[in-house]
Amino acid sequence: MSDGQPRPTNDAQIVVSGLTKQYRNVLAVNNLSFTIEPGRVTGFLGPNGAGKTTTLRMLLNLVTPSAGTATIGGRRYPDLADPLRHVGAVLEASSAHKGRTGINHLRVICAAAGLPRQRADEALALVGLTPAAKRKFKGYSLGMKQRLGIAAAMLGNPQVLILDEPANGLDPEGIRWMRGFLKGLAAEGRTVLVSSHLLSEMQLLADDVVIIAAGQLVRQGPVDQVIGSMAQGVRVRVRTPQADALTTALAGGPATVETDEQGALLIAGVDAPTVGRAALAAGVELHELTTERPDLERVFLELTAGKAGIR
Amino acid sequence: MSNLVRSELLKIRTTSTWWWLAIGAFLSIALAFPFNAWLAHETLGGGGEEFGVTGDAASAPAQAANLYTSGQYLGLMFVMLIGILMVTNEFFHQTATTTFLATPRRTAVIVSKLIAASLLGFSFWLVTTLIDLGAGAAFLALNDHGTLLGEWEVQRALLLNLMAYAIWTVLGVGIGTLITNQLGAVITASVLYLIGTQVVGLLFLLLSNWLDSMAVIKWQVIWPAAASSIMITPGENEMLPAWWVGALVLIGYALVSCVVGILITRRRDIS
Repeated sequence: MSDGQPRPTNDAQIVVSGLTKQYRNVLAVNNLSFTIEPGRVTGFLGPNGAGKTTTLRMLLNLVTPSAGTATIGGRRYPDLADPLRHVGAVLEASSAHKGRTGINHLRVICAAAGLPRQRADEALALVGLTPAAKRKFKGYSLGMKQRLGIAAAMLGNPQVLILDEPANGLDPEGIRWMRGFLKGLAAEGRTVLVSSHLLSEMQLLADDVVIIAAGQLVRQGPVDQVIGSMAQGVRVRVRTPQADALTTALAGGPATVETDEQGALLIAGVDAPTVGRAALAAGVELHELTTERPDLERVFLELTAGKAGIR
Repeated sequence: MSNLVRSELLKIRTTSTWWWLAIGAFLSIALAFPFNAWLAHETLGGGGEEFGVTGDAASAPAQAANLYTSGQYLGLMFVMLIGILMVTNEFFHQTATTTFLATPRRTAVIVSKLIAASLLGFSFWLVTTLIDLGAGAAFLALNDHGTLLGEWEVQRALLLNLMAYAIWTVLGVGIGTLITNQLGAVITASVLYLIGTQVVGLLFLLLSNWLDSMAVIKWQVIWPAAASSIMITPGENEMLPAWWVGALVLIGYALVSCVVGILITRRRDIS
């Protein structure tokens, strides 16, 4: 098989529409709809128990939806002619027989999917696991298991990659490797959908985010837009022994001033140089003057507040 | 489909489980053959009554048939366990996800497991039978009984044994799809197989006394191990139904467990 890079087409678009999963006691996913575009890394975020894994499993036909549809390139997963050449998925790190070697795990999948046997060696090399090819799976570290899962997903050189918590158990070097790897795949025009809890990592990795909580969509869009949409934008953090004097000096302008738990002032509506000039003019002594940008973590916590936890 | 069967066979070859079960099958031959050879020697020498071996069972062809199928009582259990493990391993090691991602057509996956298991069951039968034939023919010829391989009763025993291997392998896959918990499936199946004809025969004897009806005894054929034993036991017995009744019952169990197992597997959420 050639390593020709797939071009972005609608074949690689993921569309989730009205997706619902009712378990006996829990409504795990509730009328969820979103679209994932090719050529971008999309972060799929939500608190524990939000329904991320159930959604991904419905997308892959492992779990049957109670209602709604999930399609890849306009087709349900079981209707894809050659699923592994179209979609690669990494769902859980521990999904190989403990007594089987890494290379044999991949060869079993190649045989089932009708892929040439040497794809197993190529995929193992792609994730840097060649030295551990003949080691049994039970001897793999968590990071090596994740890499083996990615190798399995890449066997068919698919246009769509779906990964559930791929950064779990990776060391900092492994996380950096994964970030480069996934960004590279998206740059080649593939669709990359990644679920994660690691918000700081997601901010570095994702172009778009889909945020869900309690089985429902909370927000979808490009990362910058989602962060920018929050009421609280950029703030300036100031520590000073003369807080009252500075508040008075800023009064009457566009600035709004709050005080945080440590007694520092959080000033919104004006930028740091403006605050600095006002302080100088009023003769106010400053111990700290910092610009605080909202990050994905803050936005996520505000959007999902009260919706997290055990259901 | 051939890709899937190849994948299933590769799954078996790349783990050590089947190797342990093969060793078990050889050990059971190594234990059973000397015993059966001694029994044949004593019985054909005229001493069968001491062990309760009389009538049809004491004839030379019956003893030869017994010798040529040595060790296959446990061998049948081992092929059944292979069938069970082929399915339950997917859930125990969480590889069902990977398997159903590569092939979302779940019926095809189970059917290919059935084909792979049957091929393996056939190999087990072939190898154990060849060993028994070699050793048995040598033993009988050296003791001046001739090989007796031309006797229909002997050939019939070998063929019915092949049928037993095929059915128990399929039944193993069926049980695995119905009980995906590995330990639960292995224990259930071992009980079904090992709680042998004696215990079930005794229970049905008590039941027939209690109900005052001799016909009830024949109903022990509904127990899989009893059906299997009735199927491969030569000769007529007024207490037991004919061999083909045992065969039909056993085939029924295999078919029903597989069909129900496939239906359940198609609907099951893999998580």
